[in-house]
Parts: sequence; C-alpha cells; structure tokens
Amino acid sequence: MEELLRMEGISKQFGEFFANRNVCFEVRAGEVHTLLGENGAGKSTLMNVLVGLYQPTSGSIFLHGKKVKIDSPAHAVKLGIGMVHQHFMLVEAMTVFENIILGDRRSKKPFIDVKERKKEILELSWKYGLNVELDEKITNIAVGAQQRVEILKALYRGAELLILDEPTAALTDVEVEGLYSIIEKLKAEGKSIVFISHKMREVLHVSDRITILRAGEAICTLDADKTTSQELANLMIGRELSEPIYSKVTQPGDPVIEFINVSYKKSFKHGGLSEVSLRVAKGEILGIAGVDGNGQSQLAQIAAGVIVNESGEVKLKGKKPSTFAPRGFIDERVSLIPEDRNLMGLVGDMSIEDNLVFKSTEDVRFSNFHGWLLKKNAIRQYSEELRDKYDIRCQSVAQETRNLSGGNQQKVILARELEAEPDLLIAVHPTRGLDIGATRYVRDSMIEARDKGCGVLLISADFDEVLQLSDRIIVLFEGQIMGEYSGKNPPIQEISLAMAGK
Amino acid sequence: MDGSTISDLIIATVRMATPLLIVALAELYSERAGMVNIGLDGIMAFGALVGFLVCYWTGNPYLAVICAAVAGVGVNMVYAFCTITLCANQIVYGMAINIFAPALASFIYRVVFGVSSTLAQATLMKTVAIPVLKDIPLFGKLLFDQTPMVYLSYLLVIITAIYFNRTKSGLNYKAVGEYPKAAETMGINVIRQKYIACIICGFFAGAGGAYLTTCYVNTYSDGVVAGRGFIALAAVIFGRWTSPGVMMACLLFGFFDALQLRLQIGSNLIPYQLFQMIPYVMTLLALTLLGNKISGPKANCKPYFREER
Amino acid sequence: MLKKNFMNVLIPMLSILLAFIIGMIIILCMGANPIQAIGFLFRGAFGTVTNLSNTVVRSMPLIFCGLCTCFAYRCGIFNLGGEGQFLMGAMAALAVSLLIGAEGPWVTVLAIVAGILAGGFWGLLPGILKSWRGLNEMITTIMFNYVAVLFMGFVYTSALREGSVPQTAAVPDLTKISRIFPNLRITWGIVIAILVGIAAWYFLFHTSKGFQLRAVGFNPTASQFNGFSVKSYRLMAFVVSGAIAGLGGASDILGTQFRLISGYGSGYGFDGVAIALIAQLDPIATVIVAYFFAVLRVGSTTMQVGSGVPTSVIDIIQALVIIFAVAGSAMMHLPTVKVFFSNLFGKKEAA
Repeated sequence: MEELLRMEGISKQFGEFFANRNVCFEVRAGEVHTLLGENGAGKSTLMNVLVGLYQPTSGSIFLHGKKVKIDSPAHAVKLGIGMVHQHFMLVEAMTVFENIILGDRRSKKPFIDVKERKKEILELSWKYGLNVELDEKITNIAVGAQQRVEILKALYRGAELLILDEPTAALTDVEVEGLYSIIEKLKAEGKSIVFISHKMREVLHVSDRITILRAGEAICTLDADKTTSQELANLMIGRELSEPIYSKVTQPGDPVIEFINVSYKKSFKHGGLSEVSLRVAKGEILGIAGVDGNGQSQLAQIAAGVIVNESGEVKLKGKKPSTFAPRGFIDERVSLIPEDRNLMGLVGDMSIEDNLVFKSTEDVRFSNFHGWLLKKNAIRQYSEELRDKYDIRCQSVAQETRNLSGGNQQKVILARELEAEPDLLIAVHPTRGLDIGATRYVRDSMIEARDKGCGVLLISADFDEVLQLSDRIIVLFEGQIMGEYSGKNPPIQEISLAMAGK
Repeated sequence: MDGSTISDLIIATVRMATPLLIVALAELYSERAGMVNIGLDGIMAFGALVGFLVCYWTGNPYLAVICAAVAGVGVNMVYAFCTITLCANQIVYGMAINIFAPALASFIYRVVFGVSSTLAQATLMKTVAIPVLKDIPLFGKLLFDQTPMVYLSYLLVIITAIYFNRTKSGLNYKAVGEYPKAAETMGINVIRQKYIACIICGFFAGAGGAYLTTCYVNTYSDGVVAGRGFIALAAVIFGRWTSPGVMMACLLFGFFDALQLRLQIGSNLIPYQLFQMIPYVMTLLALTLLGNKISGPKANCKPYFREER
Repeated sequence: MLKKNFMNVLIPMLSILLAFIIGMIIILCMGANPIQAIGFLFRGAFGTVTNLSNTVVRSMPLIFCGLCTCFAYRCGIFNLGGEGQFLMGAMAALAVSLLIGAEGPWVTVLAIVAGILAGGFWGLLPGILKSWRGLNEMITTIMFNYVAVLFMGFVYTSALREGSVPQTAAVPDLTKISRIFPNLRITWGIVIAILVGIAAWYFLFHTSKGFQLRAVGFNPTASQFNGFSVKSYRLMAFVVSGAIAGLGGASDILGTQFRLISGYGSGYGFDGVAIALIAQLDPIATVIVAYFFAVLRVGSTTMQVGSGVPTSVIDIIQALVIIFAVAGSAMMHLPTVKVFFSNLFGKKEAA
C-alpha cells in the first residue's frame, strides 16, 4: 500500500517536560493504524501536532511524500486531515447543521444557503450510514450521535485521514459496534484512520497496524494479526504486567448509606435519577457501572450532600442526616473523590499543604482558638508526612497544586480524604486520566480502606475497573437501576447489555 | 400629561437611548467573541473628548464621530493586546481601561484648554428629516426627524441581527464566543476573530462616546459618561445577547432617563437628585426581575490558550 | 516559591518605573523640564514636615478604599462600589454627629459605628442581589455608587444644608477625631487605617475563616464540595468590604473634611481598585501603595504651580502603573514566558 503520511522525529516540549520525543510515525492509504499507549504517553499531543493545534518543537511531517508545515488547524483541514477529539469539539448552543458548516469555505456567498448544504450533508450521511438529526441542538442528542456529527464534520471537509481519539470511551457496547461498521465503510472508501486507544481488546479488533507510544517515545510498530494482547500490554507498560486480583467480600457489615426511592430531576434522561434504591455497607465496595451521563454525577452529589434529592429518602448510618449539606455529611465521616479533581476537589491556586488540610483548618491539630490562629508549622509538618506516606511527587509542599500532574493531584485528594478516616468513601472515576502506576496506587488504597471497614461507593465509567474492585455491582442507565449483580463471578455479558439499557 | 409632553418624552427617550444602544451593540459584538469588556465607560469618555475636540476645531460633527470611533479602537487595542495576546483577566483589564482612558481624556482637555479655562463649546450635529416618512401623522415628526446617528444605530440593530443569524461569517463569529477550541479546529482563526471583535467594540464605543458631545451636549466635562457604559453592559444582559433585545433594553433605560428629566422640570418640591436616581435604580430593578436564569456566550471572559495542556 | 514572591514585588516596581519614564516623556513633550517637574513633585510631598503630614492625611481614605477592594476580591468579588460605600459611611457619621445634639468623644465613637454600619449595609445590598438573583456585582455596585452620590447631593443641597452655599454644617469640634500631633493634620484615623490593614492581613492569612474565604474566591465549586458555605462567605465579603469603606468615610469626614461638599469622595472607588490591583491583593502592600498614590497626589499640586505641568499627568502615571502591573503579572502565566524563566533560573542553578 502507498504511504499517505509520515511524521519524522517529532518532539514537543511543554516547559521542561517532553510530551513527545523524537517520534516517527507512518500511515498508509486505506489502513487503520492504532496509536496505543497509556494515559500521558503522548498520543493526543502527537495528533494535536498533526492537526496544527500544537507546533512541534522539532521534527517534520510528510504528506504523500511531500514535506508540509501545518501551522494551523485551517491548514490541516485543507490538507485533508480531520480529527474527532476525545472531548467533542461541538458548540452546544448550536444545531447539528450549524456545527457541520462552521468554518465552511466552499462558496464565497456571505449567506448560508441552507437547502443546498443540507442536501450535501444528507447525501454524505447516507453514504456512510451516519444518521443524524440536522436541526436538533447538540445538547439534546446522545453521545453516540454527537460522535457521528463529529465524523460527519470531518468527512464534509473532505478528510482523507481521519483521527479518532479514544472514540469508544463514552459509548455503550452497541454504539461501539456501530462505530466499527462505520470504520469498515470508511476503509472501503480508501480513507485512512488513526485510531487512538489504550484498550487492547478493541485495538486488536479494528487495526491493521499498531504503533506503541510510551513516555512520549514511539517504541515499535507491529502488524495486528501477528501480535497478542499480552505482548501489546507489556510493550505499553515497559515491563511484565500482572493485573492484581483483589479478594471479594460477601458478608459486609452494617449499612452506612441507604437510598430509598430517591429521585432527582426525574424527567432528565442524562443527569436525572428516578426511584433509585441502594445501600452501601461497611467494609464493602459497591460499584456503579454505566456509561457516562446516566445520572452518576447526581448520584454521587446526593450521596455527598452537595445536591438535595427531590423525593425519596437518604439515610446515613440508619438516620436522616441532620443537615443536608456537604458539611453535615463530612461531619458524619463521608469522604468524596470527585469526578473533576480540578473543579471540585482542589483549589489549584493554593498550595499542596493548604489543600491537604482544606477541610480541617479548625481542627486543634492545625489551629489554636477554634481556627483563629493557624499553626503554620504543624500544617507544614503534617503535609510533609503525608507527602511521604502517599508518595506525592513535588518540589515542595508549598507548591501550587495546579502545577502537579494529574496522578499527583489525585494523590493529594486521596491523602486528604483517607486521612479523615471515612466511614463512607465516594469515589467517582477515581483513576480517570491516570497512568498505570497511579491507577494501581489509587485502587490499592480503596481496597485497603475497605478492609479497614470503610464502605466504598465506586462510580466509574471504566467497566474493567468496576469488575475488578466491586463486591457488588449496580448498573445505572438513564437514571434508573437496571439490575444488581454479585461482584464474585459477575455475568459480564448480562451487565454490559444492561449498561446499554437492554 | 398633554400631547406635547408625551411627544417630548418620546423624542427624549430616543435621544437618551441612542448612545446606550450604540455602546451596548459594541459590547454585544465583543461578548459574542467571548470578550467581556467592562472598560466601555472609559472608551466612551475618551471618544467623547476626541469627538468634542475635532468638532471644536473643524466644526464638522460627522468627522468628529469618525475620529472618536478610531480613537476608541486605539484605546481598545490596549485591552485587546493584553487580554488576547497576554491572556490577562478581562475584568481586571477592563477596569484598568476605565481608570486609564478618562485620565488621558481629562489630561488632554487640560493641555488643550489650559488648567483654568472658560467653558469651550462646539457645534452640535443637526437633525436630518427623512422626506415622506416624517410626514406620517403623530409619530412621523418624532421618529424621522433625528440626527443621522440615531438612524445609523437602528440600522445597525437590523444589520447585527441579520449578521449573527443568517451569515456564515456571523456563525463562525458566534462559535468563537461559545467554544473557541472547536472553532479553531474548524479552521477559524480565533485570535484574529477576537481582535476583530475588539476593533468593532472600540469603534462603536468611541462613537457612542462622541454622540454625547456632538449630539447631546456641546461641551466636554469629566464624568460626562455618567456610568452609561455600565448601563449598556446591563442592557446586553437584559437583552439576552441579541440585537433586538438589546434595543428594547436600551429604549427602556432611555425612557427612564427621559422620564427623570421631565419629572425634574415638573416638580419643585421634591429634590431633583431623587429623580436623577431613577435610571440607576430602574436598571437595578430590571436586572433583579430578570434574574440570572439565562447566560451569555459560554466562553465569555475566559482567556484562550491555544497550547493549553 | 522565592521566585514567585520576588516577581510579585518586581513587577509593580518595574511598572512604576516604566510609568514614570512615560510620564516624563509626556512632560518633555509639553515643553517642560521633566527632571525639574519630578523635583517639584517630591519637594511637594516630602519638602516640609507639613507636606509630609499632608501625604499621610491624603493616604488615609485611599488605604480604606484599597482594603475594601482587596478584601472583597480575595473572595472572588469585584467590588467597584467602594465610592458609594465610602460616601454612605461619611453621610451616616456626619448625620449622627450633627443630629444627636451633643458633642464629645462618645459621639465620635457612635458616629464611627454608624459609618461602619452604613457602609456595610451599602455593601450588603449588591451582595443580596448576587446571592439571591445572581446579578453581576460589577454592574450593581456601580449603580449603587451613582445612587449614593446623588443621595449625597440631596443631603448637602437640601437635607442637612447650612446657609446659602450648597454644603452641610461642619462636625462639632469636640466630635472630631483628634490629631496625633497638635500642629499637624494627621489624626488617629491613619492609625485605624493601618490597624485595619494589619487585621485584614491577619484574618486572611492566619485564620481558618480567612483561609476558607480565600478558597471560595479561588474555587467556589471545590469550596462547596468541601463543605464551606459559599453564599455566606460571599455575603460576608460584601458586608466587611463595605464596612471597611464606610469606616474610611467616617474617619475622613470626622477627621479631615468635616463637611460634605459637591464632588466629595469622587473617584475613591476606582482609586481603591487600582491600588489593590497594583498591590496584588495583599493588604499590607495595599497600605504602602495607597501611600504612594497619596505622595503623587500631594506632590502634583506643587508640581503644577512650580513647573506648569497639570496635576492630571499624575492620573495618567497612576493609570499606566496599573496597565503595566496587570499585564506584567498576566504575562508571567503565559506558557512561553514560563519556559523562558524556567530556562533562565535553571541555568543559574546549574552554573
């Protein structure tokens, strides 16, 4: 097959950190080429260089054998490179149609010729089986449909090379199958696809060739039919990977939190809860499986007292909570690892030590006179102890948390929440975006907390994570509970169907 | 109230609403590209001075408005450079403009006319009646015998509405204010669009300031703007970021301004300051009734780093 | 860490220097001798003990207004209403001292308390509008400023007018805040101002409540998730910030101005914003920058008389300082600049 794209010696530096170092990467016409690597390996950075969002520190790009300098996304579009970003680049306040024709330059007329454009787009969507509602606002359509809009957007611009960045992360299994068939059709039309992923299973399924990135460097390129998932995993991590197997608890203690027919914004399919009943007991992990945006955030926020349920009852340790607010729940020893650590967990402009004692500045350990004189030395000493205990890598504990890596930020939150010796730990996507080392650390810590008698409510879109850690599993779909399963020998097929609402 | 009072009130409403409208549209163009500019008051003050000076020297109010608009662009480029290129906080920088521009205006006025001078006066823009339309009974004379600035500002409302709703370029413009990164991936030059927004904003804000000294009063004094830039900001919120809405809001606020002037003349018993409070209190009331249920462009006020990690 | 503190001091210093250079160029363009003009400026500020005392007197209201902005902004609230809150404080204090029908130190205390309450109340109103209706405080506080200024007009032209000139009666002699030195105009008000500055610094950086208030300012969502009452901290910031300005108004009217006249307090609110921003929201630095502003103001009068350069050139210099200071600190956050400095400092460490 003919070579379409070649990237040679690409390096990209952020501050002192190299996100890509001397990466070589090549794509042939009409192939699916996967970039495989764990979080932070530099996959997205490399692709952002290719679409002109980032300028490489060094290296060059060849398209059809000719050297090109891609200095803006507009230029990349002109060269026939389209990308579907992991976080969709869709303007929510606009319609599907408006999103597709954004930045369109195919005619010089100042006004939007709605009829003609719609005809073109519909033809294209028929050809590839990408059915979308053109006049619907983005906010009103499901994630799978949003992804189809993104693909359509790229094709409408005449993309020859399509980059799909972690396209399956937010999809149900059924939607993933749909995506695979779209990829097949694109391939048949002679388009090339760069598929970015860290999931071995799907990579082997869709790819022709696989390039492995590790710590910003390209390790090797393999043919998909001549490798195994074990080999890929080892190459990706750089050492023999042994997935830990955690023991499962079958006889938990007393309940710490109970939901009885709890509803919140019942009519909302994405972001509401309808008649949810569940219970987390001491010394067990209850895993909530489900695709993102099916009420998980709301469930976590009600369990942490941040939002108040509209009907039904929430019981903490068998009683109604005295104050339904985060403070009241914290006083009952409820800890939270929130879904968005920078928005909800940490104050990025404050130091590590400030974030570590965030909730407990009035504690006698850290202040005199009920909080009227902070003991700065005691706070410093305590923070340094925690830094060592939780292996938080930083220059000093006085450093601002926003400059830390995602893994270290999560460790700061973990340290703060676990040191409060919680009776209930709510963990929402606790390992999202973390590398394998940090992921392992967070998971071990949760198991350790469980074994100390803490009840854990684990909410995660990562199905494997839920399977690995949970003692019981509940599936949430469009705000409703689809079923409850034992964590020991769980019926994987049945659960994954439940996640798709079947 | 008899007929002539009512017609006076309508004329005054239109006169009072016009500077607000021009400046509120300036802010609309700015915010649609995600640039909240609270420095309107300062740009207006500078525009008012430049307009006055040019009018004083040349006697040509039209040239004065154009010069003021260009001066407004000049001042706003300081804001644009610091917020777009240096990514400074838009609110803080708007405030810096509010402090800087009036100081510069007041300084130039003193340099030109000396430290203690008699009041300098310039000519005012003449009204231009539109034939035929002005002969419409009842309102014809009121609405179609105004300064060209008034006609232009209403024309601008229509053009703005068409631009943002019907044109490709308007769609791209809005995308920058909603989700700049998405706009960038679609091949729209976000930085350039934001600069264009600031040029438009500075242009109209300067012209709006000049309206005060070329169509409204014929002198310049410090504080001539009297918070109109902030009322215009309120009008953009009240008008829900659409040009017809902004126009209605400005007419409403203009009406209160006109009303307080009428009431001042009509009453000797009540201190006039209490009437002067009406536009400000009504702005507060209007916003309170509206509440915060709707919000503007999503990326408003957020700096855009292309290579953010 | 050291690097960051160093930059926090260096940027305002460089901004002041740059602003002065531009100011001197402007003076040169006007045909005056800039060195001589600056000479007059400093002689006017520091030349005699009286002048020196005038700078201190002049700095007092500026310190209060600067602290007012600083305190609110630490909680994420951009209070532009310093002027209105200052005036409400001044009016309340004046009203108490005139209407109570007695004079003496206890009336002074009462008047000051009235000033604090009035300023706090004028800060509470936009606070309520923000927490109840979500209104942007920048617009509302400006509107309240105009209402307060007009209300003051009503007070000196009608309500508390004395004689044919539009002004109020003066504060009775025994109610005035007493002077520290008999023949200088410095009153104990300046001591109050500095103490408020120290108290604000202590509260913000050494108490749990201050810690939580700053956290709310940086990240309200995280603060809410971690159990802080965001609404009450915001309201508190509004009220305390208004009360500081109100205390300033009371101290100024009882110690320096004694009566309300047209144009009183004009521009103090924006001066406060400028001062707090240049001081990078540090209360102690706010006191120092406010004094620097006062030096420029007092000195500029002498400069105008001596070299014919209008005082408003000083306003430009002040405005330029804030333009440069804000741009400078924003620049430090830019990725490219960060790389540049990390390379610069990195090399130094290696060498």
